[in-house]
Amino acid sequence: MTQTLDIHQDVSRLGRAQAASSSAAPAAISKSGVFAITFGITFMVLYTVLEQLNWPLFTYHPAVGKLDFWMQRPRSGEGPPMYWFGWLALSGIGAVTVSFVATLLPRPWLYRATVFCCVLAALWPALLVAAAFIADRVSFDAEFLKSIWLAGALALAGAAAISFYGSAQWVQRLWVKWLWLVPVGGLAVLGYSLKSFFLR
Amino acid sequence: MEAISDFVFDYISVRTFWRTLLFVHFVLAVALLALVTLQTVAVLMPAKQTAGNFITRVRATSAASYVTPIVFLYVPTFLLGAWVYLKYRTYVRIPMEQFGHWWTVGSFEFKEHIVTMGVALLPAYWYFWRQPLTEEYAAIRKWLAVFLAISVWYAFLVGHVANDFRGVGS
Repeated sequence: MTQTLDIHQDVSRLGRAQAASSSAAPAAISKSGVFAITFGITFMVLYTVLEQLNWPLFTYHPAVGKLDFWMQRPRSGEGPPMYWFGWLALSGIGAVTVSFVATLLPRPWLYRATVFCCVLAALWPALLVAAAFIADRVSFDAEFLKSIWLAGALALAGAAAISFYGSAQWVQRLWVKWLWLVPVGGLAVLGYSLKSFFLR
Repeated sequence: MEAISDFVFDYISVRTFWRTLLFVHFVLAVALLALVTLQTVAVLMPAKQTAGNFITRVRATSAASYVTPIVFLYVPTFLLGAWVYLKYRTYVRIPMEQFGHWWTVGSFEFKEHIVTMGVALLPAYWYFWRQPLTEEYAAIRKWLAVFLAISVWYAFLVGHVANDFRGVGS
């Protein structure tokens, strides 16, 4: 009976030790996992950015069955152009490439690189919107604030600072969470850009 | 795709071809809708015992058992939707704009985005739902399952509205 209790206590201690170690370091993610997670994050970021900039790999004209490289405006007699397939193709190619590179990177670099890219993708348009908001309301001429490059430089600095100074544990814990942060953020941006349809 | 449709047009009308394609897309979507809903119930309201009424038995089903059929239905439903989308752009959206159905057009545009996000998440969804399921990633597994369910439900409802405007049986 005493022996049984001892074994039980040992098992409990072992369980607590495993729980403690698992809370300190997440379970190992295989290379296929790194590929899958990076693919999801990269695809969604790229898709949102490419859609907003309207940079498709190709433009398809369904009325005439014609395919053009990159972005082509509607042409007379050719019907409406479709860009969605072009955004998908470019996002897919970009995501596969980045995901493959991600499997080769040391994990700490990968976590920080992900934070850098995601923060940059969020901060750049956010700063641009904030700058335009301020520039339209101040009494002096602040048109320079609307510069895409000024917002870009600030976003770059912000993303670099956050990814550099963020603790190793924080960037690691955040890595998987990008899988829900990115679609929520991406859909908010994409949804907002559709507001003209709902406000007519 | 054009070669396939050209071959088929020798035997059936263009209209019947696109309507058949849309109907198959619809059937796949219904099956997918059932699976993501059942999985979401099993994920959000898990029950340990299999005995009881229908709801309890659904709740007690292993959520992981739905993963493979969901992935294998999501991809063809998405691809078929992308194909039908070609016809939508010219045959449905233009009259929709002419009649001023802007909410439907905008909602359909958002459908493109949400299903694309869903497809992008499928590899990660598949990865996290593989056995053995670690407790550590339970939250992200739950989120991925719920997000896919939201995307499928949204796409289904908006697709249904667009179909009512100009589609099968409209």
